[in-house]
Amino acid sequence: MTTTMLSSASEFNIPTPYETDKRSPARWLFSHARRHWLFILMAVIGAFGNAALAAAVPVLVGRAFDGILSGADPKALLVQTGVLLVGTQGLRAILQLGRNFGAELIGQRLERDIRNELYVSLLGKSMTFHNLQPVGDTMARATNDVREINLMFNPGFNLILGSANFLFMPLLVAPRYHPSLVLVPLGFIVAYFVAVVRYLRQLQPVTTEVREAFGALNARLAEALDGIETVKGTAQEEAELSRLEVLARRFRDAYVRQGEIEARFTPLLLLGVTQGLGFFHAVWLYRTGVLAIGDIVAYVGLLNLFGFPTFVSLFAYSQASTGYSAARRILELITRETNLDENRRGYAAPMRGEVEFRHVWFQYDENQAPVLRDITFHVKPGQTVAIVGQTGAGKTTLVKLINRIYDATRGEVLVDGIDVRDWNLEALRSQISMIEQDIFLFSRTIRENIAFGKPDATMEEIVAAAKAAQAHDFIMQFKDGYDTVIGERGVTLSGGQRQRLALARAFLTNPAILILDDSTSAIDSATEDKIQRAIYAASQGRTTILITHRLSQIRWADLIVVLRKGEISAIGTHEELLRTSEAYRRIFARDL
Amino acid sequence: MGFFASLDIEAYDRQYSDRELFAGIRRYLAPHLRKVVTVALLVALLSLVSAAVPLLISRGIRVLEGGNTSPLVLMLGAAVTLAGVFSWGVNWARRRLVTQVVGDAVLQLRTDAMRAVLNHDLSFYDHYSTGRVVSRITSDSKDFGEVAVLITDVLAQVLQALILGTVLVFINWRLALVLFGFMPVLFLVSTGLRGLARRVTRSGMRAIANVNATIKETISGIAVAKNFRQERAIYEEFDQANQQSYRVNVKRGFVLASVFPVMNALGGVGTALLVYTGGMSVAAGIITAGAWYLFITSLDYFWFPVMNISAFAAQVQAGLSAAERIFSLIEAEPAVIQIDNRPVPPLEGDIRLEDVTFRYSEKETVLEHFNLHIRPGETVALVGHTGAGKSSIAKLVARFYEFQEGRILIDGMDIRTFDLQAYRRQLGIVSQVPFLFSGTVADNIRYARPDATDKEILDMASRIGSGEWLETLPNGLHTEVGERGSRLSMGQRQLVALMRVLIQRPAIFILDEATASIDPFTEWQIQQALDLVLARTTAIVIAHRLSTVKAADRIIVLQKGRIIEEGNHETLLARSGHYAELYNTYFRHQSLDYVEEARERFQQQNQEKCP
Repeated sequence: MTTTMLSSASEFNIPTPYETDKRSPARWLFSHARRHWLFILMAVIGAFGNAALAAAVPVLVGRAFDGILSGADPKALLVQTGVLLVGTQGLRAILQLGRNFGAELIGQRLERDIRNELYVSLLGKSMTFHNLQPVGDTMARATNDVREINLMFNPGFNLILGSANFLFMPLLVAPRYHPSLVLVPLGFIVAYFVAVVRYLRQLQPVTTEVREAFGALNARLAEALDGIETVKGTAQEEAELSRLEVLARRFRDAYVRQGEIEARFTPLLLLGVTQGLGFFHAVWLYRTGVLAIGDIVAYVGLLNLFGFPTFVSLFAYSQASTGYSAARRILELITRETNLDENRRGYAAPMRGEVEFRHVWFQYDENQAPVLRDITFHVKPGQTVAIVGQTGAGKTTLVKLINRIYDATRGEVLVDGIDVRDWNLEALRSQISMIEQDIFLFSRTIRENIAFGKPDATMEEIVAAAKAAQAHDFIMQFKDGYDTVIGERGVTLSGGQRQRLALARAFLTNPAILILDDSTSAIDSATEDKIQRAIYAASQGRTTILITHRLSQIRWADLIVVLRKGEISAIGTHEELLRTSEAYRRIFARDL
Repeated sequence: MGFFASLDIEAYDRQYSDRELFAGIRRYLAPHLRKVVTVALLVALLSLVSAAVPLLISRGIRVLEGGNTSPLVLMLGAAVTLAGVFSWGVNWARRRLVTQVVGDAVLQLRTDAMRAVLNHDLSFYDHYSTGRVVSRITSDSKDFGEVAVLITDVLAQVLQALILGTVLVFINWRLALVLFGFMPVLFLVSTGLRGLARRVTRSGMRAIANVNATIKETISGIAVAKNFRQERAIYEEFDQANQQSYRVNVKRGFVLASVFPVMNALGGVGTALLVYTGGMSVAAGIITAGAWYLFITSLDYFWFPVMNISAFAAQVQAGLSAAERIFSLIEAEPAVIQIDNRPVPPLEGDIRLEDVTFRYSEKETVLEHFNLHIRPGETVALVGHTGAGKSSIAKLVARFYEFQEGRILIDGMDIRTFDLQAYRRQLGIVSQVPFLFSGTVADNIRYARPDATDKEILDMASRIGSGEWLETLPNGLHTEVGERGSRLSMGQRQLVALMRVLIQRPAIFILDEATASIDPFTEWQIQQALDLVLARTTAIVIAHRLSTVKAADRIIVLQKGRIIEEGNHETLLARSGHYAELYNTYFRHQSLDYVEEARERFQQQNQEKCP
């Protein structure tokens, strides 16, 4: 007997254009980014050139001062300086554009490639993974987090790279006037890094608090207004308002604290002091006769270059760190183990539809209480089973063991007498159709949605399936009939209609076992009748497992399994249960 | 912000004149008058101190240029340092105060807005989605605050530029003209670039939204695709959207990436211009080298104010319209008007609607000269098609809406004379989709009566299906219900809502029965809870369940706002009138007969179809 293999073989594979290094977020990002080395080069050259040519301005201006003050021919010198200024700044613009656009391209490409890698990896994950992983969370990672990585490169890295060059440019150029002039810039750079690190450390918890406080206020206010009828109906306006006021005040306090930290932004102080000290130093050197006036002008101008890194540090570093956390979250999702394998060499044969549970236990993880305990029952091919019980009794989990969305923790689930883990997964799943509570329909035509499992179905087949599922009539009420696009121009479907489209899908694929998690209800008897008829028709000729609330369906099922807190509390036919179960008797004894 | 703002104009929006708007803003700033004045002084001081730095350096150069090498020159260096420290300190004080004022004003604004919306009638919420109201209160007030901070920032910059500008004019007005003449060019180019950036962003926005929607759909669809082994097809759809997203974003990125380079190139031209004209003036002895330096440096100081101003007007406008939106929300007129504020004695539950006419809007009359008397302790079931007026009656009794004619008397007293809060404390209301607040089950049960003890709640809970429903909750009474009760099933939410009413012990009970599908075991427990409530109150039930209709003392059959039949289930059914029709439309499938015969009927139909 082949048992479950814990292997990394995934359920589905699309080759990605290149392999990435998934050992850490940094390595992973690098393995993506290095493919765009040309743009990296473009950004690096652009950043250096931009800073160097920005430094050219004070140098040229200083030279002009010296020239004019020493009585050189003003016109020739000034025209030359002017041309040089316009030329260098024009070139600088091109290089800066190279830096900006290079970083932008890397960011955009990484967004595209990482999203692709994530999506391909999601397609390869097991059904179990997709059942446990909240869609909202995955969506947030595929949209927001991927976007954060883009922003990490531009503006994040772009500005960090750009401003780093501005930081070092005064160090490179100042010695030209006097070696000791590197002292003040050097002091600034050291103090700058200390101050920025301290500032970001202080700010980080406060911004988190501001965001959380804002979220809490928003959430409670939205809740209070959605429940306004309850608030008013119970005369709780004042109580609700005082709760909200507490939250609004919490936000205000966090906001003010953030403002105070931002107001204290010490790099700005450093910038002011540096300018003063630099000027002082330059004048001092002038008095000893080693510096000309033009050199002072140039030097003061060079120190002004520090303005850019100072202001950039307000957000560039946090942008980069946000992007890094996003990368960590995405990588975590990509590398998460998925513990089912395809079992390609497993049993594959046409299914008769016999289902048996033998002392099945299930728990989501070891630390949680079992969701199912010692479940044993047997379904003959073609029978209809109704699973009933209160919310949280384990109904949905139970049916998901049949098509191996989950594997039993203990005991075994057999289909046609073979343990589901010994089935070829493809063979098992393709013969079991599962209609879940939330029915997902694509924003495509109704025809495409019905034929989703059998794309080559003819129109006749589709219509026949829709008719059997009692869906044909409401489909024809739309102007475009089967070509109606769901979700477009306000075309929305009720739960019952969605369910009937899903049933039509099932009629087309003609599975040996149909699992239906039914929680719809229609207000009027006619629609209710249609839904029930569709389900009844679908149950003919195949094993059908219904999670249902409908008394009539329970009434006509061949076998009824009553679950209570993960255990079978009663099982049998309607007549048997009337005799054996008090709870069951009660629901039918009601005065209807 | 400005672009989208125009999209969500609501009917309660009013046009405020600028004077009214500023009066409103002044009202919120008035309590912080001293701080506001201090901020204004600090802004002036800040611009002076910041302008001092280039002036001091320029003065230094002039002194050196004159050949003066006394140690006094070094003092100027010290002065520049001091000015740097001082301007940082002033800036710190200013930012701190501004944050405090804005924080407090926004807090007050939010509190007022929240008080206002909590007191608005339910008719208000029929028209306006809560999402938008919430965003007005939280986001619009935030925008308003941000603009207030921005104004002081830009004001300081502009003031500083003005000070420098004045000095420059006095030094040499011709050269100053060159500098000022360059500003409109800068302004136009930066405005143009901003417009271009906004255009590409806007046109890209829709494309990106589409792409995002597709990406979202393909992600939600993965599970279905896997179910039917259609991974390849869904991947291709995703890939297309992803590639398209890239193309759109790169185009946008290029425009945004070129904004600063263009501005810098322009800066080069400006500097060259000032170096040339200034240098010529120095050579001709018209100005000093120190003044020349000042002209060149001033370009930097004019740069940011000019660039900011091109965006400033739009931002301020957006901030003002944010303020306008909140003020309209606060000042929206109520529709329900009480003519007195009488305390309400313990009620018997006698309800009388006399000649009541009610319409939601001018065109749509729901009830016309409507009369109904409900005796204390009676259970009345309202049945009828959608729009027959069932819920309108319930809403009028709850005084959620204003009626136009007639009287509603509760225990013989005019409903319009009540202290509404006191009246509603004696009402128990359960809506079709019961609403729970995040918190525990116990929190929700005692929502209407916060002083109820755990023991009281447990005693009551144990009377419903011997308390079994509490056992099925993971943490019993202390189970967290999640946002809007999302962690509980529909049935459990109804049980909690009924428990809330049982603990509240109201005189009048209004129930809009749920139509959601509920498992039969929970349904049975709900029935038990409902029986307990009905036994103790005068009840108006908008009935959707057969068992409730049957249990009612009196069924009121409504059609187009009129009572056309009345009586109990058996007599009405026997009459074969409108009730019988309603029964066949809404209740038949709930009957035991239907349940028992379903199999045979479906079998027959199936055989007819496939002979």
